[in-house]
Parts: sequence; structure tokens; C-alpha cells
Amino acid sequence: MVEISLPKIERQKRILERFAGNLDFKKVKSSFSKNLGPFMLWVTDRDPSDKKALKQGLCKVARASEKNESACLANITGILERAAVSGKTETFMCPFGLHGFSVPLVEDKEAFGYIICCQLKNEPSRDMMDIFSYLVNTVLKEAKKEVELEDLYRTIKPRTVALSTVHTVHRLIMSSLYLNELLARIARLSMQIIRASRCSIKLIDSKRKTLLPKATVDLRTKTTRLKKVKIGRWAPGKAVKFGKPIRAEKYLATPLIDEDVIGVITLYDKLDNQSFTSFDEEIMRTLAEQAAIAIKNAQLYKEQEKLTMGSIKALAQIIESRGSGIYTSKLSFLKIVQLIGQEFKMREHELKTLQYAALLHDAGELMIPEKVLRKRGKLTGAEYRLIKEHPLKGAKIIKSLKSLKSITPIIMYHHENFNGTGYPKGLKGSDIPLGARIMAVVAAFEAMIAKRPYRGTPLSAERAAEEVKKHSGNQFDPKVVEIFLKVVKRKDVRHLMKREVHGSK
Amino acid sequence: MDLNELLKNKLYRGIVEFFHENQTSVDTPRGIATWVKEERAVVKNALDKLVELGILIAHEVSSTTGYSYTRNKKIIQTIEKQLKNNR
Repeated sequence: MVEISLPKIERQKRILERFAGNLDFKKVKSSFSKNLGPFMLWVTDRDPSDKKALKQGLCKVARASEKNESACLANITGILERAAVSGKTETFMCPFGLHGFSVPLVEDKEAFGYIICCQLKNEPSRDMMDIFSYLVNTVLKEAKKEVELEDLYRTIKPRTVALSTVHTVHRLIMSSLYLNELLARIARLSMQIIRASRCSIKLIDSKRKTLLPKATVDLRTKTTRLKKVKIGRWAPGKAVKFGKPIRAEKYLATPLIDEDVIGVITLYDKLDNQSFTSFDEEIMRTLAEQAAIAIKNAQLYKEQEKLTMGSIKALAQIIESRGSGIYTSKLSFLKIVQLIGQEFKMREHELKTLQYAALLHDAGELMIPEKVLRKRGKLTGAEYRLIKEHPLKGAKIIKSLKSLKSITPIIMYHHENFNGTGYPKGLKGSDIPLGARIMAVVAAFEAMIAKRPYRGTPLSAERAAEEVKKHSGNQFDPKVVEIFLKVVKRKDVRHLMKREVHGSK
Repeated sequence: MDLNELLKNKLYRGIVEFFHENQTSVDTPRGIATWVKEERAVVKNALDKLVELGILIAHEVSSTTGYSYTRNKKIIQTIEKQLKNNR
């Protein structure tokens, strides 16, 4: 006897199910009834001796007594065995004088099921049986095709879903140029696609001896474990040392390689408590390749940003020196705008824009004569008009620098008042860009507490904050003022301001 | 919205079934619209609703949003039961 593999049996069962449920098969039955008269038709699977399966099609006469039933079953079993050997349609007469025939359903020269047609009053003609057999085989072919398509879909779909995931992850990773944001995103996505409970990303330090923790996401404890690891120690250190993934039951460490190894992504504990697999390793290799490129890009961008910030600080120094003759470091103001921006859930690039604007908001003063900027007494009408032009002039200067284009609206509108009485356009409420509304508050605060040679004693931070509060709702956006007041009360901000503005240590 | 009620809706059921069967998937609204054979805009709204309900996680970037399945075991178990019951 030929042994048949289980998947094959399983597949043939599905073909039979499809075949039996096929609408056309039902049509075949109904159209043949017109010519042959009423008859019983049923499908059974490969085992001709499976009495239980055969019983489903027994007629009333056969069911009338045990004797009748066993006589009928013995007859059908014999017919099916004959059909299995011949592979062709076999006719028969049942113990109760009725006619019937059986069509074997064949695959690879082997019957895996049968159609049994019985209870016919007259013997069916050979022609009629041939037509029946032909139609049955057509329906069978269709059922086979359906199962084949289903199998193909089952095989292809997971691969297509995986491919689509890799593509989406690539897009998500490549969309960020800010290292901290990027590393946190890579950690979250790695955990997601491998269904792990914890992910840690470590990057090699400048001396190439230690791995520094840069991003950790832990689903279980919600606490971050920021541990340094020496290269060569533990799974992350080994993955970096040998430049290949280190996999065990509970962890998977994948090196980040871009020409050279730059770090490692380590995943711990799968959500379903299963072990990490070679498939997980393959997926993580692909993700790590993309991540390494994105991290390198972000590191280059960070370097570029440092250069930009350096140039902006130099420009800010020139602007401020022209106005007051003194340059004060603006770290505290940068911190204040940063914290306010964070409260407004601004993204990293928006926060950066806000910081650049904090340094350059008065760039337009470069185009105003120094004698006007440093005048101690009251300004004339013409002088005041000149001063009022500085936001537009500043915006014009900055607009020409492509990399700083995003700060133009902040510079242009930072003298607009929330109630619409400001300049240059008289914008009102939320028509004023959020960055400009923040800058209006911070720039006014800065002006009040900074030392100026042409002005008396500057206000204390508390007093200046009171002034800002007084103008909430008319000059300033109340929401911004509310956050600003919270921010300037912070100990770290106070400490920084004291050190910068009043020179105390 | 009650999860049971939600799963009676063909679109929501299609999306939840897709993520339940492919728990490692991360896909964009366009990709998911292809899987569930629906309009992208309609799918996007449904995805955001599922994020609100904690069934999906949104990974937002400037150019698109990637959606993935929750990692909350309790939610996954509840969905498993509901999908079986409504089959």
C-alpha cells in the first residue's frame, strides 16, 4: 500500500469539501434528475470501508433494518473498491433492485474520493454516465484550482505582509534626522515587529571601548535600565565585537553595521514567552541595516546642526552688540523657549526652529542705525517707525538663508499682540503663529531683565514675570503665559538665569 | 465603543482581524486599505479610532503614520475571544 503524506490527505480533504459545496455540482445534480429521474447523490472520501461516511447516503429501504443496511453497505463498498482499482465509473444494482453508479475522484492515478449515485429506477446509459463523469471532473478541476489558489495565498500573504512591514519601517526610520527621536523610534519598532518585551539600543563611544545606552523601552517595568557595557562582554558587547547577531532563548542582540560597527540593538523576552527564532534574526538584520544608515545620517545632521548653531550664535552676538553694546549668553532663554515648546508637544525640528528664532528674532536691528537703537530718550515718530520695521527687515534677511527659512514667520510676527494691536500686520489670536506667540512672551521677558547701558536698573525675574502676567490676554497669548509662568519658576531655569543675567555663580 | 459592537462592523472587523493574524505587522493606511479592500480615507479614520481604543499603536512621522497591533496581552486575549465568538 502506498503511504500518503498527511498534508496531501489534508489538501485532498479540502478539495472534496470544496467539490461537495460547489454550486455547479448542485446544478449538475439537478439537471441530471430531469433525465434520470430522482436519485441520491453523495460524495465520500478515500476510504471505501469507512462505514460511517457511507451511511450518510443510505436510502429509507436500506435504513429500515440492520440486515438491509449491512447488505447495502457491503454492496457499495464492493463498488467503490472496484472503482478504486479501475479508476473509472462503475455501475451497480443494489440489493433492493435499484440502479446506481460510482465515479472515482482521481489524483495522481489514485482515487481519493467517490461520487455515489444510486436509487435510480432504470439503468443509466453509458453516454449519460460519460457526460456525468466529464462534468464531475470539470467541477473537480475547479475545486483543485481553488485549493491551489488558497494555498498560494497562504504562502504568499505572510511574506507580503513582512515585506510591507519592512518597507513601512524603512519609511518611519528614515523620516527622522534627530538622533534621540530616531533611536527611541527604532527601539519601539524593533519591539513591535519581533513582539519583544524590552529593547535597548547602545552606541559605541568615541574611544571604541564601551557601549553607551542611548534608548531603552521596557514594557514590563516602565523603568529604563541605562547600563554601560564593555565591548566583548554580555550579548550586546559580543554582538559588537564579532559583528554578528547573538541569539539565545531570551535575547537577541543585533549589531548596527554601517561600514564599521556603530552599536547594537538588543531585544529581550518575547511577549508569547517563546524563544527568539532564526526568522527574528533575519528580520532584525534587515532592520539593523536600515537603522545603521539612519543613525549615521542623524549623527551627520547633528554635526551640521552644531555648525549652524555656532554661526547663529555668532550672528546673535553681532545683533545684540549693536543694540546694547553688551552680549549676554542666552542659554536660559533658549531653555525657556525649549521647555514652553515641549509643553505644547512640539516636535524636535519645531523646537530647534524656536531656538534659532530665540537667537535671531531681532536680526532686523542690523538694518537700523546704531544711534536709534542706543538712544536713551524718547524716540521720534520717524525713529519709532524704523524700529517697527525690524521684524519685516529681519524676516527678509533670514529668508535669504535657506536653512533658516522656517524661522521667518516667528521673526516676522513676534511683535504681534494677541488682541491684534501689534505690528507689522496687526494679526490676532491664533492667526499669529504659535512660535511667534511664544517668542513675544520670552523676548519681552528677556528685554525686561537684561542689563542695558541706555536704561536704568533692569527688572528682577519675578517682577518681569508679573509684568508678563499683567499683559496676558491682550499683548500675550494666555495659554503661553500660563506655561511660561510655570517654566520660569523651575529651579534649574532660575539658577541658569541668575548665573547669566546677574553674573552670579 | 464596545469591542463586540465594533467587531460587528465589517471594516473594523477586517482591520482587527488583519492585525490579530499578523501581529508583527507595521503598515501605513494605504497598505492596510489594500489588505482590507477599502478606501484609504475610510480606513485611516477607522485606524485612528482603533488607536484611541488602545487596539492599535500609531507610529507618526511627518510623511505618514505606521500602525501596529497592541502589545497589551489582556486586549489581545479579549479580541481573540470576541473574534472566535463572532465567527
